[in-house]
Amino acid sequence: MFKSLKTIAAASVLAGSLAMSASAQAADTIKVGILHSLSGTMAISETALKDVMLFLIDEQNKKGGLLGKQIEAVVVDPASDWPLFAEKARELIEQHKVDVVFGNWTSVSRKSVLPVFEELNGMLFYPVQYEGEESSRNIFYTGAAPNQQAIPAVEYLMSEDGGEAKRWVLAGTDYVYPRTTNKILEAFLKAKGVPAEDIMVNYTPFGHSDWQTIVSDIKKFAAAGKKTAVVSTINGDANVPFYKELANQGIKAEDIPVVAFSVGEEELAGIDTGPLVGHLAAWNYFMSVDAPENDALISKWHDFIGSDKRVFNDPMEAHYIGFNMWAQAVEQAGSTSVDAVRQAMYGQEVPNLTGGVAVMNTNHHLSKPVLIGEIQDDGQFATVWETDGVVVGDAWSDFIPESAKLTADWTYPWVCGNCEKPKYLTN
Amino acid sequence: MATGHSMGAVRPHRIIAFVGGALLFLALLVAVTLPAAAQSVPTAADPFAAAVQALDARKFSDKATAVDALGALGDERAIAVLQAFADGRLYRHKADKIVIIADRAGDGFKLTSPVTGEPAGTATSREIKKIIANNKLRGQIRGVLGQLALFSPDADERLEAARNVIASPPDDALALLKRARDRETVSKIRETLETGIAVFELASDDRALRLAAVATLADRSDPDIKSALEQRLLEVDGDAVEPDAEVRTALREAVDDIDDRLALFGLAENLIFGLSLGSVLLLAAIGLAITFGVMGVINMAHGEMIMLGAYTTFIVQEIFRSTMPPEIFGMYVLVSIPAAFIVAAAFGVLIERGCIRFLYGRPLETLLATWGVSLILQQLVRTLFGANNREVANPDWISGAVAFGGGVSVTVNRIYIIIFCIMVVAALAAFIRYSRFGLQMRAVTQNRGMASAMGIRTGRVDALTFALGSGIAGVAGVALSQISNVSPNLGQNFIVDSFMVVVFGGVGSIWGTIVGAFSLGIVNKFLEPVSGAILGKVIVLVLIILFIQKRPRGLFALKGRAAES
Amino acid sequence: MGPISSRLIAMESKRSWAAILTLAVIAIFVVPILNLAVPEGSLFHIPTFWVTTLGKYLAFAILALSLDLIWGYAGILSLGHGAFFGLGGYAMGMYMMRQVGERGVYGNPDLPDFMVFLNWDSVPWYWLGFDQFWFAAVMVLAVPGALGFVFGWLAFRSRITGVYFSIISQAMVYAFMLAFFRNEMGFGGNNGLTDFKDILGFELSRETTKVGLYVATAVSLLIVYFICRAVVSSKLGRLLIAVRDAENRVRFLGYSVTNAKLFVFTLSAMLAGLAGALYVPQVGIINPGEFAPAKSIEMAIWVAVGGRGTLFGAIIGAFAVNGTRTYFTAAAPEVWLFFLGTLFILVTLVMPNGIVGVYKSLRSGELFDAIRRRLRRVDA
Repeated sequence: MFKSLKTIAAASVLAGSLAMSASAQAADTIKVGILHSLSGTMAISETALKDVMLFLIDEQNKKGGLLGKQIEAVVVDPASDWPLFAEKARELIEQHKVDVVFGNWTSVSRKSVLPVFEELNGMLFYPVQYEGEESSRNIFYTGAAPNQQAIPAVEYLMSEDGGEAKRWVLAGTDYVYPRTTNKILEAFLKAKGVPAEDIMVNYTPFGHSDWQTIVSDIKKFAAAGKKTAVVSTINGDANVPFYKELANQGIKAEDIPVVAFSVGEEELAGIDTGPLVGHLAAWNYFMSVDAPENDALISKWHDFIGSDKRVFNDPMEAHYIGFNMWAQAVEQAGSTSVDAVRQAMYGQEVPNLTGGVAVMNTNHHLSKPVLIGEIQDDGQFATVWETDGVVVGDAWSDFIPESAKLTADWTYPWVCGNCEKPKYLTN
Repeated sequence: MATGHSMGAVRPHRIIAFVGGALLFLALLVAVTLPAAAQSVPTAADPFAAAVQALDARKFSDKATAVDALGALGDERAIAVLQAFADGRLYRHKADKIVIIADRAGDGFKLTSPVTGEPAGTATSREIKKIIANNKLRGQIRGVLGQLALFSPDADERLEAARNVIASPPDDALALLKRARDRETVSKIRETLETGIAVFELASDDRALRLAAVATLADRSDPDIKSALEQRLLEVDGDAVEPDAEVRTALREAVDDIDDRLALFGLAENLIFGLSLGSVLLLAAIGLAITFGVMGVINMAHGEMIMLGAYTTFIVQEIFRSTMPPEIFGMYVLVSIPAAFIVAAAFGVLIERGCIRFLYGRPLETLLATWGVSLILQQLVRTLFGANNREVANPDWISGAVAFGGGVSVTVNRIYIIIFCIMVVAALAAFIRYSRFGLQMRAVTQNRGMASAMGIRTGRVDALTFALGSGIAGVAGVALSQISNVSPNLGQNFIVDSFMVVVFGGVGSIWGTIVGAFSLGIVNKFLEPVSGAILGKVIVLVLIILFIQKRPRGLFALKGRAAES
Repeated sequence: MGPISSRLIAMESKRSWAAILTLAVIAIFVVPILNLAVPEGSLFHIPTFWVTTLGKYLAFAILALSLDLIWGYAGILSLGHGAFFGLGGYAMGMYMMRQVGERGVYGNPDLPDFMVFLNWDSVPWYWLGFDQFWFAAVMVLAVPGALGFVFGWLAFRSRITGVYFSIISQAMVYAFMLAFFRNEMGFGGNNGLTDFKDILGFELSRETTKVGLYVATAVSLLIVYFICRAVVSSKLGRLLIAVRDAENRVRFLGYSVTNAKLFVFTLSAMLAGLAGALYVPQVGIINPGEFAPAKSIEMAIWVAVGGRGTLFGAIIGAFAVNGTRTYFTAAAPEVWLFFLGTLFILVTLVMPNGIVGVYKSLRSGELFDAIRRRLRRVDA
């Protein structure tokens, strides 16, 4: 009897001390939470984002930190497990008392943490191109919305330089980002007069590895005598076998160009790009862009990571912009309080690595340039087209009827993420 | 890569003068209207050099004009320049703005003058800037080069060129193709050219020519041809594209004929795809058939053995890349096979001796321990190699595709995988059947106590059997690295499927695994076009569950003592 | 004292009763009080993070119990229990989704956001009724129970045992994962169901609701523990143990093995569904990830770590593994898988009866003898 009681008592003391140790640390640093999967399926993409955050924090500390304090990174591993993302987000905010969190890749992980950030009034910077249809007061979206990636890419392929495509294959992994993007694109294409029989939509499961049938179907679909283009929203892991099958079945970019929204330098690092020259990607950033800021940052990055083979990609630039905007906003607000920093974020400007200036809008999305690049044999992209100026990120797509009527604006008089009428609340 | 790069070699072409002559007038016209960029060039006096320099324009439309102009000069040096442009080897020297051909050599570039074809020193990547071509330009260059190469003495080049001209037809394509056909002696190329001509003549004003074209095309089995015929049957604003009723009938019959043949080809295609998928499943599962089927170890780290094999392939490739001459780079795959076997087998011995040998007779607990092993191995690889994908290139000899006609083509790497799979399975079966070790292995599996009493060192046999199963999984990793990701998650993608194959086929039966893998592959591929990839897989899983109800021990159930778990 | 209560008391030893009651009091009364009544900053305050995390562990403990019931006592290792857990979770998620009403981003009073997005104009038939809590509560048990019954009937009738059963149960959960990924299924595809607002009118973001859910889970765990204890100490329980140890002999003795297994498997599926239903409101999301085969394997590992065939061990295992994960994913985010993997290997190698087994042998001083014996046996 006494023995078991003692055991239990000991166990609860242990649990309690674990809880305390985390929260008891003194607040003489500014804490930045990093919520990227370091294991599981998404580690492939997210590990590099963790590295880049450590790099950016290191750079900022070299400059003297923020508000006279050093910045401390708090890294956790949500392990590509979506409910664990919510647990870790709560742990970062409640236990580690971080001032801001940079993290997430997949939409489902963002959906999982969103209620936590809203409940605890935290601040999340989300760096990945995504499907839009969301604007949370507690999230800043530094990746591209569909109108900053998908629409310009399709417009390019329709243009004379892009090859005047008339027939479209929309191929994607079956989850919300491809579904939404394809829905927007279908509406857009139909508005441009493309008949329904010239659009083929295909969905595959995550990690799909046997692409024989689908690539063969694409070839057959393209044999109708009209210029055909493929818009790929195929996700992560499935891309390598897809591109290997494309290359081996001899689909050349001159005949059937494939434009992808989820394939960047990091993904190409796993593929021999020789046979893929000319296939396209649309992003807001390419590592190959010849700009002084870009060159300087990349060489610092290579020094930090200790390898000049490591690539830099669009979500990494998004973190670069997001982190610098946050740092500026903190300096301006003179505080790391979420409410103060949020107010200071609106209109915050940071130079893009590719030239021009990114601006944070009141819908929590960035204005960024859109670049379209063709894959080169060295695994980089060559920019073949870019927007004249910056494009404002739309939280709500104009091509989905239910969403076209919604407005996201977190400043007076709107003060909401999805309204048809202003709310006139004081923020 | 069997296509596309074969035109790289520069050869003098007798016929260039001929084509060039025909286009001389155009050339003169363009030379006059050349963009202003040409003026800043020191060698403006040489029209060829000026035309090359004009490629370095800002806008793609100007580059396109320059490509046509260069082609129209009829200068045979243009072939090398245009080819370099299409391959992304054409650069601008930043200092003096001269256009130059650059090839990667070590860390820098080796330069060649496009005008003289002579070496022009070296440069670092910062000193030169690539002149970018886009898809449209590459297509255009392909057409221009095709016109030039259509009369090449090399038959392969001519075939390639004929296809390119048909794919990106220039304005006078019909005349060009006819000229080429009249000179052509190789029947295969002639057929290709005739097909191309017939497609153009479908739109001829002459009714007889149209009928003849339909007759020519009716016995082809190609979705492209079918759609070309169908285009003529469409109605635009109420009027048929093809005005003549008799031609329309012929068209309809031709389309029906092609349809029938394509349906047959479609069946064949699904069958081949199914065999290919089945061979991948079999390779992934065959090692498990030994560790799980023969030894009763539920080896959740099996997928990680495949992953280790794939990473070994990557390492061997990197060693080849840095130490061997490029000519034998493609052989790295062959060296990888024994290397992957050894690495995976070594890990297998380690796992067996360090962990599994304590757990024999408790299969469900091996599951838990090997699950732990699999987590450790994944993290180990992630720590050593990084979390992202590693590049494993397809060597040239296992790239490209084989066309079977009717739009059916199978990629060469998959054909090799089918062959490789058969070889591995045959070797394994022979090894188990005929070798002394195979005999001991079977003895231990069937009756451990008796085998031990006969003097077989059962512990050693256990370790080696596990090593064999792991090694085979490593070899599978070599094959899978050619079609799939090489990442720490590689193994996880195959583990569930592998277990399904082994259980479906019958635990302990190599034959069962073979039949199981191929039938699952083929069923999956026949379902996929009907139900979509995802639902197809779900249906296959449900079928497996229902099948096991009927035969609780799988397709090929072992009889007797060994069957009792 | 009536016969029922005396049987209840007899189920546990005095020592166990003391432990159970102490833990129950701590879990059900002390933790909520320390969270709600003790001010933040005090040494004794338990932050909300730990309340929700412990609540999650408690739900996992119910799941582990359900698995121990069939694996520890009937020798059926299901690698597909995630299917029952997930279905229970989805049933609860569907109820909460219907409660969202006009507060969804598109403001549609009847349709969840993802259906608006898929251009559906009415909820599909299988969503009907889920706007009522009682209906959802019934479905939480009925749907996993029905699936468990059908799957178990198919499997046990044709005498599928051992690893064959494990693998086809894995096939089942894998099929569920793939099917639920499909957006056309009408369960929100990969994103699943999320952004819930309230349950039974209580706002989920309020601290008191969280504590309420936590207490409900703790009480459920206590009840489920007693249900399981009642089953395993009944005549049926002894029959199951006999099946586990020598199925054919039991069959030859004239018992209906199939019916006994079917009963306990269906019960286990329903308890797993209950665990899922308690889990979802606390983590705020249910998606096909719960059907991933790896998750179902891990559930078996909780039971093994704690010690199977003891019920109490399942609860300890669920807490131990998930606690380890929570701690190390923050303390050693880059290498925690090494720790977890090593833990699994060590447990199976040196602690064949799990943590509970170690505790027992420590008490009787048999531990080191046992290890020595094991190592010697292997070399023989």
